[in-house]
Amino acid sequence: MLSFVLFSLSRAWQGFWRNAVMSLAATATMGLMLLMLAGFWIIQTGLLAGLQFTEQKVEVVGYLQPNAQANQIEVLQSRLEAMPEVASVAYIDRDIALARFRASMTAQGREDLTRYLDSNPLYASLEVKLVDPSNVRAVGDAMRADPNIRNVINIEDLVDRVLTVTNILRTAGTVVLVVVGIIVLFIIVNTIRLAVVARAEEIEIMRLVGASDAFIRWPFVFEGAFVGLLGALLALGVLAAVADPISGFMVDFFRVLPLQFGSLTRDLVVLVLGAGVGLGVLGSWLSVRTYLIR
Amino acid sequence: MPPIGGRTIQASTAEPNLITATPPSTTRSIRSRVLGRSQDQASPERPLLVLHDVTMRYPNGKLALRDVDLVIPEGDFVFLVGPSGAGKSTLIKLLIRDEVATRGEVVLDGQDLAHLPRRQVPRIRRKIGIVFQDFKLLPSKSVWENVAFALEVTGTPRGRIGPAVDRVLALVGLTDQAQQVPSQLSGGEQQRTAIARALVHDPRLIIADEPTGNLDPLISWEILQLLLRINELGVTVMMATHNAEVVTALRRRVVALEEGWVIRDEVGGAYHRED
Ligand SMILES: Nc1ncnc2c1ncn2[C@@H]1O[C@H](COP(=O)(O)OP(=O)(O)O)[C@@H](O)[C@H]1O
Ligand SMILES: [Mg+2]
Repeated sequence: MLSFVLFSLSRAWQGFWRNAVMSLAATATMGLMLLMLAGFWIIQTGLLAGLQFTEQKVEVVGYLQPNAQANQIEVLQSRLEAMPEVASVAYIDRDIALARFRASMTAQGREDLTRYLDSNPLYASLEVKLVDPSNVRAVGDAMRADPNIRNVINIEDLVDRVLTVTNILRTAGTVVLVVVGIIVLFIIVNTIRLAVVARAEEIEIMRLVGASDAFIRWPFVFEGAFVGLLGALLALGVLAAVADPISGFMVDFFRVLPLQFGSLTRDLVVLVLGAGVGLGVLGSWLSVRTYLIR
Repeated sequence: MPPIGGRTIQASTAEPNLITATPPSTTRSIRSRVLGRSQDQASPERPLLVLHDVTMRYPNGKLALRDVDLVIPEGDFVFLVGPSGAGKSTLIKLLIRDEVATRGEVVLDGQDLAHLPRRQVPRIRRKIGIVFQDFKLLPSKSVWENVAFALEVTGTPRGRIGPAVDRVLALVGLTDQAQQVPSQLSGGEQQRTAIARALVHDPRLIIADEPTGNLDPLISWEILQLLLRINELGVTVMMATHNAEVVTALRRRVVALEEGWVIRDEVGGAYHRED
């Protein structure tokens, strides 16, 4: 068994270098395809994070009656928090509301007119963050039904429209990624097939002298895995090289997003290595198979 | 006697030597092994190869063999003749189980090839050495490596490969060319390499499909003499050929095919029918 594995590995190694031009071309193709796959995957991950970030901004704001008592507000707040659709509830009293309003006016460079007023014109409010923005209606209705709530800003229609757009983008991103994945699969499998076809005569001779299927197949499978591994390292090398120049842009772009770079890098390495070796093995297995079945 | 052959004799004398009257030769181990095996495994009466009522129809509907009956005893030398398209190569493909007969039985060494599980096919092929018109050598490997390849890919332990390769190269007379690649060899030498590769498993049967088709007459005779010598060592030989001169001169068994029928099966025959 061990000698069989050693035999297959050494034949794979020989096979790779005996037709070096072909093997290196296959490796380069593999690397390019994996790079393309990784690129689309990064875009898709960023897109999903962006959409999630947008959706998390959805909150239902209910303004409280000026005469609402603190204990009534507390009861309402804990009732809302108990709802499964609700992620969190924040009580914004009138002072905070005014401070926020002033801050936003300053940020926009507009004159703060509230300082000409002798009293705070703003209402206290409850800001409810949602587990899932599509539940906006249920939460809004629950708040409207409470007598302590003066009014609820109607964001339901807006949320519906945002959700439509984000869902389209999500689906489109997934479709593009899947299509790219399939293209990559076909190109890689075909490239490896070419490398195997170039050695059809060798396979033919092996069959004629009585080599068993395993002896014919495994050297090619190992060779495919080797091409996949080299291609993946190539792609990861390119990614690492371009990571620095574009990381400034990446950090700026992704900073606001709920992205974790550690897990992004780890997932990317796993994806590229897994796809490279997996497709290499799959490609050789399928290509050799056509010569074995008779 | 090449020095490599000399070493092999010593190794081979350790085996039971059934033919005591013959002078020592580099090839004794092949003969003794073949005959030894035929005594332990097969009853002396059982023919090596039996075709019974064999019909081969290709998927495209072409009938390449029709109702072929053929019995080949161990040790025979058979010429398979007939015009191009008669079915010679098809018959050979059935013997090495490259194709399976549509109808009838192909029994090699007691095993019916039609019902042989796929996993057993490689083992059957190791009982047969096959030689083609176009040599089928690997261009990037040396003569030695081409022959060793047949053993390597069938899982032969390293230590046994070297002596076996040296022995068959001595037998076909290529000891001095062992390190050359096929492109540095003449056609005859390439075919001898292919024959060495076919022999290296110590097969019971050598099948040659027009082995002299690409060679000039003088070299063809050389190849034929080599095959006859191998036959004398106890290996059954079947050779498909167009070469009327050789067939008629040698007066061996001739099986003639035409449009898939066996139209003649004659011991001591000529290429063409003589009435
Ligand atoms: N794979 C195949 N598919 C269909 N027909 C074939 C195939 N191989 C051979 N034939 C046909 O079978 C007949 C016998 O061919 P073959 O055995 O190669 O003849 P020979 O070797 O005597 O020249 C021919 O008519 C040939 O065209
Ligand atoms: Mg033919």
